[in-house]
Amino acid sequence: MVSRMNEQTHPDSSDPIIQVRDLRKDFGYLQALSGVSFDLNKGEFLTIFGPNGAGKTTLIKVLAGLTRPTSGSAHIDGFDALESNTELRSQIGVISHTTCLYPDLTAVENLLFYAKLYGLDDPGKRADESIREAGLQLRRHDPVRTYSRGMQQRMAIARATLHDPSVLLLDEPFTGLDLRATNALKDHLHDLHTGKRTIIMTTHDMSCGLEMCDKVAIQHKGKFLLLESVDKIDRENFENFYTEILEK
Amino acid sequence: MNRYLNQVRAIVWKDFVTELKTRELFSSMFIFALLVIIIFIFSINLSIVKASEVGPGVLWVAFLFAGTIGLNRSFMLEKENGCLQGLLFAPVDRTALYFGKLISNFVFLLIMEAFILPIFMIFFNVDLISHLLPLMYVIFVGTLGFCAIGTLLSSLSANLKTRDIMLPILLYPLIIPIIIGSVRMTGQVLAGEPLSNMANWMSLVLCFDVIYIAVSIMMIDFVLEE
Repeated sequence: MVSRMNEQTHPDSSDPIIQVRDLRKDFGYLQALSGVSFDLNKGEFLTIFGPNGAGKTTLIKVLAGLTRPTSGSAHIDGFDALESNTELRSQIGVISHTTCLYPDLTAVENLLFYAKLYGLDDPGKRADESIREAGLQLRRHDPVRTYSRGMQQRMAIARATLHDPSVLLLDEPFTGLDLRATNALKDHLHDLHTGKRTIIMTTHDMSCGLEMCDKVAIQHKGKFLLLESVDKIDRENFENFYTEILEK
Repeated sequence: MNRYLNQVRAIVWKDFVTELKTRELFSSMFIFALLVIIIFIFSINLSIVKASEVGPGVLWVAFLFAGTIGLNRSFMLEKENGCLQGLLFAPVDRTALYFGKLISNFVFLLIMEAFILPIFMIFFNVDLISHLLPLMYVIFVGTLGFCAIGTLLSSLSANLKTRDIMLPILLYPLIIPIIIGSVRMTGQVLAGEPLSNMANWMSLVLCFDVIYIAVSIMMIDFVLEE
């Protein structure tokens, strides 16, 4: 059973596609999330900055349905994100710290496997298209473990967008990438955002994060200290504020 | 339903392609089972005890220990590169994930057992060929129960630091009824008794097979949640 906010009806396009209210997650005495609330409209790009341990990954995991929060609510495209439902997961693409790729399988085999899991029509064709989009045609039959970090990250994005999700959750996608790979990934994310996708990204990379987003947030000790449209912030003040938080 | 079966099939396909490339699972299970049989053959004086009496125990100890290695390895592969998370992000019912892994583990174990049986027959000098069909049936139901609960527990222990130790500690007490039943039935089969003579043991093992599969279906959602 799938629970939707608006029974029988799809949310209006002006409704926020993501609604998070007072989300809390405790790990014993540790509060990873302590009352996170925000709305995100369709097609918006939210970048969340925050020091290590701020609860960014926990937030992504809760939205992806991987972790159950202690309290609060989260709705994505009308679906209750806190209930384990397959329909919601088919709308979301997630890129986490890890690539989620089988190192001994080739690029084709990995994407073919995920295409079958997502129940896509003609999985072979879709896998080939995704490999082409990721620019890895020449290495398509090589095991993924032989790929560089940048290539693996491109494959991870190909995996996450294989099913053309309307919402993308990106958890520190620039980690471990060199400048060239970072720029390539930025271009790729830009292309993905140009479409109709709503994106939430956590990152430490100030320039990448601010360059692409519509909204920006700073998370610290499980809370959003700031959530603002990127047009309304003064970049220098923002950077100073963030540096202060990092130094706390 | 079709989509569900396709997802189960996809997980089995992925496990088989990985195993065909690496052969890690089969080789480690086979070598371990072989070593167990070799150690026992040198420690038992077969001129004093009958092979058909001690053989079933040795055979199932080999299957149990080798199977535990296989179960441990099975979910460790999913932990590499966070692949388990990739599965959980996908719109896959958790029970499809369980059944996919169960079928893979079950088939890998049956293949290993098929290679071990001729070796056991030669070393213990027992005639398995004339009892092959009932023996296959016993091995089938025993291995199914072992894999049913083993797959659930290996998915649970995969998230623990002490996974190598935890799996046997959790698994062995629960698997006792199935192993006892299987050992007794194997002994009776090797003694030439028909399957109808071991209805009680058969019912016991089949009951535990069903219970463990049912419990796994109910628990897998909670076990896989982070």
